Amino acid sequence: MRRVAAALMTCAVTALSHGQDLTPRGLAPEHPVAITGATIHTMVPGQAPIENGYVLFENGRIAEVGQGERMFIATTRIIDARGMHVYPGMIAAVTRLGLTEIASVRAMRDYNEVGEVKPEVRAVVAVNPDSTLLPVARTNGILLAGTFPSGGLVSGQAGVIRMDGWTWEDMTANANAGLVVNWPSVREGHSPFGGGRGLSEEQIRQRIAQIDQLFDTAQAYGSARLADRSTPIDVRLEAMLDVLPGALDQKPLIISANTVERIQSAVTWAAGRGLRVIIRGGRDAPMLAELLKRHDVAVIVEGVHNFPRRSDSDFDEAFTLPARLHAAGVRWCLAPGNIDENVRNLPYEAATAVAYGRQLGFDEAAAMAAITRDAARILGIGDHYGTLEVGKSATLLITDGTPLEMATTIEAAFLDGARVDLSNKQRVLRDRYREKYQRLGIIEGGD
Amino acid sequence: MLALAFGPMAQAQPSNQSTSDSPLADRPNGPRRAEVGRFALVGGTIHPSPGVVPYEATVYIEEGRITRIDRSLGQPPATFAVIDASGRHLYPAFVEAYYEVDAPMPGTPGAPGLHWSALVTPQRSALDAPWLDSGARDGLRKLGFGAVGIAPQRGIFRGSNAVVSLAEPDGDMSGHRPLVLREAVGQVIAFETASFGGRDFPTSQMGAIALVRQTLLDAAWQAGQDGLAPNALTPLEDARVPLWFDVPGELEAIRASLMAREFDRAAVIVGSGTEYQRLDALKREAESGNRTLVVSLRFPRAPTVRSLADTEAIDLNTLMAWEQAPTNPRRLQQAGFDIVLTSSKIPSGIGGRNSFHGLLRKAIEHGLSEADALAALTTRPAELLGVSHDVGTIEPGKLGNIIVATGPIFDSKTKIMDLWVEGRRHEISQPEKPGLEGTWELTLAGRFRLDLAIDDKGKGTITDPGAAVAEGQKAPSAKAILERSVDTLTVLFDHEPFGMPGVFTLTGTVMGDAIVGVGARPDGVAFEFAGTRLEREEHPEVEKKKDDKGDDLPPEDLGGYPFGAYAVAQIPPQESVLITNATVWTASDRGKLEDAWLLIRGGKIQGVGTGGWPRIAVDRTIDAKGMHITPGLIDAHSHTGTWTGGTNESGQAVTAEVWLGDTNDPNPVNWYRQLAGGVTTVNTLHGSANPIGGRNVIQKVRWGSVHPRDMHMEGAKAGIKFALGENVKQSNWGDRFTTRYPQTRMGVETLIRDRFIAAREYAANGMRTATGRTDIQLQTLAEILSGDRLVHCHSYRQDEILMLCRVAEEFGFKIGTFQHGLECYKVAEAVKEHAIGASIFTDWWAFKVEVQDAIPYAGPILHEAGVNVSFNSDSDELARRMNVEAAKAIKYGKLDPQEAIKFVTINPAIQLGIEARVGSIEPGKDADIVFWSGDPLSTMTRCERVFIDGREYFSLEQDKAHRQRIARERERLIQKLMREQAKLPERKRPEGGADNGLDDGPADDPGVDGPTRRGVYAWFFGHDGHEPAGASMCGACGVLPAEYLELFAREAR
Repeated sequence: MRRVAAALMTCAVTALSHGQDLTPRGLAPEHPVAITGATIHTMVPGQAPIENGYVLFENGRIAEVGQGERMFIATTRIIDARGMHVYPGMIAAVTRLGLTEIASVRAMRDYNEVGEVKPEVRAVVAVNPDSTLLPVARTNGILLAGTFPSGGLVSGQAGVIRMDGWTWEDMTANANAGLVVNWPSVREGHSPFGGGRGLSEEQIRQRIAQIDQLFDTAQAYGSARLADRSTPIDVRLEAMLDVLPGALDQKPLIISANTVERIQSAVTWAAGRGLRVIIRGGRDAPMLAELLKRHDVAVIVEGVHNFPRRSDSDFDEAFTLPARLHAAGVRWCLAPGNIDENVRNLPYEAATAVAYGRQLGFDEAAAMAAITRDAARILGIGDHYGTLEVGKSATLLITDGTPLEMATTIEAAFLDGARVDLSNKQRVLRDRYREKYQRLGIIEGGD
Repeated sequence: MLALAFGPMAQAQPSNQSTSDSPLADRPNGPRRAEVGRFALVGGTIHPSPGVVPYEATVYIEEGRITRIDRSLGQPPATFAVIDASGRHLYPAFVEAYYEVDAPMPGTPGAPGLHWSALVTPQRSALDAPWLDSGARDGLRKLGFGAVGIAPQRGIFRGSNAVVSLAEPDGDMSGHRPLVLREAVGQVIAFETASFGGRDFPTSQMGAIALVRQTLLDAAWQAGQDGLAPNALTPLEDARVPLWFDVPGELEAIRASLMAREFDRAAVIVGSGTEYQRLDALKREAESGNRTLVVSLRFPRAPTVRSLADTEAIDLNTLMAWEQAPTNPRRLQQAGFDIVLTSSKIPSGIGGRNSFHGLLRKAIEHGLSEADALAALTTRPAELLGVSHDVGTIEPGKLGNIIVATGPIFDSKTKIMDLWVEGRRHEISQPEKPGLEGTWELTLAGRFRLDLAIDDKGKGTITDPGAAVAEGQKAPSAKAILERSVDTLTVLFDHEPFGMPGVFTLTGTVMGDAIVGVGARPDGVAFEFAGTRLEREEHPEVEKKKDDKGDDLPPEDLGGYPFGAYAVAQIPPQESVLITNATVWTASDRGKLEDAWLLIRGGKIQGVGTGGWPRIAVDRTIDAKGMHITPGLIDAHSHTGTWTGGTNESGQAVTAEVWLGDTNDPNPVNWYRQLAGGVTTVNTLHGSANPIGGRNVIQKVRWGSVHPRDMHMEGAKAGIKFALGENVKQSNWGDRFTTRYPQTRMGVETLIRDRFIAAREYAANGMRTATGRTDIQLQTLAEILSGDRLVHCHSYRQDEILMLCRVAEEFGFKIGTFQHGLECYKVAEAVKEHAIGASIFTDWWAFKVEVQDAIPYAGPILHEAGVNVSFNSDSDELARRMNVEAAKAIKYGKLDPQEAIKFVTINPAIQLGIEARVGSIEPGKDADIVFWSGDPLSTMTRCERVFIDGREYFSLEQDKAHRQRIARERERLIQKLMREQAKLPERKRPEGGADNGLDDGPADDPGVDGPTRRGVYAWFFGHDGHEPAGASMCGACGVLPAEYLELFAREAR
């Protein structure tokens, strides 16, 4: 570890005295960088970790991944990472990072625009690059994050951000990862003594009809605009054109649905209209595996540290959801349960899925893939991020163990080849008060 | 004010007061009424009281009371009006024990003599309420009730209940008052929260219970005072008055019993219908006296289960409650309770009060004996209400309150014809219309013969008996349209087959087997007709073959406690267990012991060590090779099981009188889930709504406890919740909350200091107020000052943490813990001096303004500075993995793992003052231990086995058995519902075997969900191309391929 730390000191200066949003921005080195002697977890499907491997990158791109000793050109900055591990940077697939700071303060909530249908709003344009939440997540190896608007039936467009940048434009990795939709409840409820809050069949029909009508309207609008450019612009409908069939780069709908009836209803509805769908939540998705596979629907699991659905459900029902999806062969990834200040705990949710999913064949590699490669693919950045492969972004972590373990330390992180500062406000506070107690003689000096 | 009008009643007189010359009697309105008040009900079958074999007799009623029962059936004297009751069954009229009425509030707030809480109105009387309207009276009488116990509704102390007669005024409405059979029967109490009245307190059930306790204490104190003016509490002074607790659930029934016992008061529980779910605890309570329960027939509707989505949405508890609720009256009866049945509290969604008899029959089908049902409606309510001398049986001397029914009263075909109340007849049902079936020989206009045949479905056919019918030909006939009103029959028929074409009409009066009337021909010519019924076909009542209910009755065994999923049939035994080859994290000075043994016996840890283990006889040996064992995890901040009783009593800024132990709920499955994560002891805390909150209760996670109190850790150090900062100054409560003191951190300090000053005075006065009262609030605070109670203080910012340290210093007590205490790391030196420790969140921050500076390094820094640190959950979800939380001390502070584990074991034990009992693995301590699959501080380790008090409360094997039972029961119940809803016949269960083939499926597959669920899904979707595992299990459904689902969804649009 000391070796790595020493090597890194030459790359960039860690300025612990600067806190929170004042942490230095990363700087891509002009020379090639080689991380050597480490176990390389490329996260490429079917590829075992490369023992005593190296990763060479330049201009933000991975130039080579290999094994054993190799000579590098003289200008190469070599990071001796013997005994260390290299992983792709972790991706928090669904968050509100950048859109909120302290959620209890109204002024600090920028994720829920007014109204039921607001496809036109884009998350990335409201990302605050100086949020204190970003460095805290970054410290633990989260280098990319989906940032999602919320509320209403159609919440807006989700984006993917790089966790370090001068402006939101700098930070944008994908300006439109999909249109965020909250699928309505579509089941009549039961109340033991009548007078329940359940929906009537008519109400259910109306809800679906409302969504249908919205897409019909958008479709008609799109055709009209195509046929006649003088058709007045409607920014709401304009924003929906990207998700409609026939769009050049058709974006998915990212639909919140947990129950079997919502998933079923959402997927069959979307399939009938030729729309691409990602299911977000997906608690009951393993039951509908065949349906999901038939329509190539991916699932974003929102945390595993959730309660089971019913009082009689298996106590570990939520813990085993990843393993069950994995076993069923559904495309899926894992997003953090906490989408604001504690996004950093994402790898520990993945770890719980391993602890309870081992007997179903769910292992550490699958868990890491769920928060790197698979998340990248589902968020539409898979060509660039998520695995360590030649030509892809040098977005990676150097660690002293698996990021899934609590005791593991993220020693260094690179985002598109640029060294990321791993300090944050909390570390500054730690150092300040340790110093207080050193002065008081309550604790010993030193690290 | 009727109560005043009537005064105390020794023996009620019937209200037919025209014959009374009492000076209290009403004056007649108009001419004096002098109808004969003497009746003889002759020839009926009398059911004089429950359990007595019925017999035929004549009942004599004179002036409202029964005077004689004549089994010789002698001729009644001429002075009696004779009522033919032959073929009828006579029962004592029922007594409704509990009927809520809207008694007015006793005065405007602030009037002298009123209690400060508008919910405490013991001085109210149900008799002050407007008399039941005619619809309500009628409704009760239709069900057979002749007297009703009325109780004031709304409030906590609601006032006294009374019993009144349901006789209808006899024509003269002007002076009508109901006959009061008894007033001031008892005092009605409910644990109601403030939904009306001028004050907000209480907002929680535990607040309501605390108010009941303080009020009863005050009343007892007041009883010993001389010269006090009568006031709200005066009616409570007499400790002989029974307390009637109107409760919304079985837990509240237990809470009510506990309260009655605490004050040694007789109690009546007016229940919720869910008592069967906690029957053994109620039985335990009943052992100390209170055995009377007023039982409501709240049987839940059948859940709709048609689709997979439906079945996935419904939990076992709901399914079981649907099936088992009708067994409640019988189970209570069997358990030795004197149950009284009420027609009240039946929700309109299941038919309301009018469905009473149907629900009662259901209860009888589910095993309640008819004699018990009858007693529960007659003699028992009469006794309970203290009116047995007037009502409840058919006996000379009692009021003439009699049900006249067409058959046995609980028979579904029986109708109540008349209800006699106070010797007055109230017609309930019209006499049945005589049947018209048979062949009527009609003669029209004195000459023409036609036959009218009426079958048992009421269809008529006209034929001509005189017509010559050729061989092989049908006799001429015509369909007759029949219309009937009371005793008039109209017949329309086409006359063409018989001669003159056109429609004839006949209208006659039916008198038994004769009919006489007039008719008209098509041409308008009128004629007379007459007829007699020739033959009367006796249709023996086709005894509807009763469904073989026996097969369909719910299982007797409820599986244990709590009701529903994960029920524990029997609290596990305290065996002696030797555990070998384990890695034991002692959380003591001995640190981690490799390859160690551990001996537990009698619920305690008897020894732990390495090397050769003791060669002694034990009940059980566990080879724990590869496993790690830690002390049971302790969560110093939990709110599990506080939802029914309330987590916060936020109605006042100081609520030291409330106690979480009054309302702890052992039912939530979150207990089990935490147990499955290795948690064995929790500190159940009040919320953070007030600077001075409620008293805590330390509980052991004894999942399956029979009685809620069994969860309480015996002899645990007392504590209380305090809170500082945003929550107590209502910063995030919304704009309405800006007037309660305090609204600033300045006010928080002031309020806390002020209360401690008051408590100091209270203590100095010998733990009494200036007037000598016991004040639970001040008593609680005085216990803090004396060191008998620990303060656990919710806090965030360093200023407020330091403030409380200074208050503790001023009043000379040591703080228990700073809870959350997120900025304790900024004032570690003060925390170290004034508190036992800090119980903090590991890494929560930024969710509100005062937690901006919270850091995950806080725990390690405090630890380094010498403060005792624990990590707590404050979350039912997080509490399931406290071991992983502890590992964050390593992540953020590089702590020695042996120290990190202490953050969730011995350290919280020390903070709570229970370290002598729990928190480490040392001889003599409670055998609360957890087995882990590996290093307990690894994120990828799981809990495998948990002992509490030396009892194995959790293991993976037990969990598997739970899952199997849940799956089996769910399937059985869902199938039962589906069959009922699809009107499919019940499938016979195979002899002695499982309900279906699913259990025989590949159970060896370490499946995700237990066999049933996997089987159903596999079957439903045909995973892996296997033959559907349960293809034969469900006749109600077909295999639904994905295409079908899509089709379905499209159609649903």
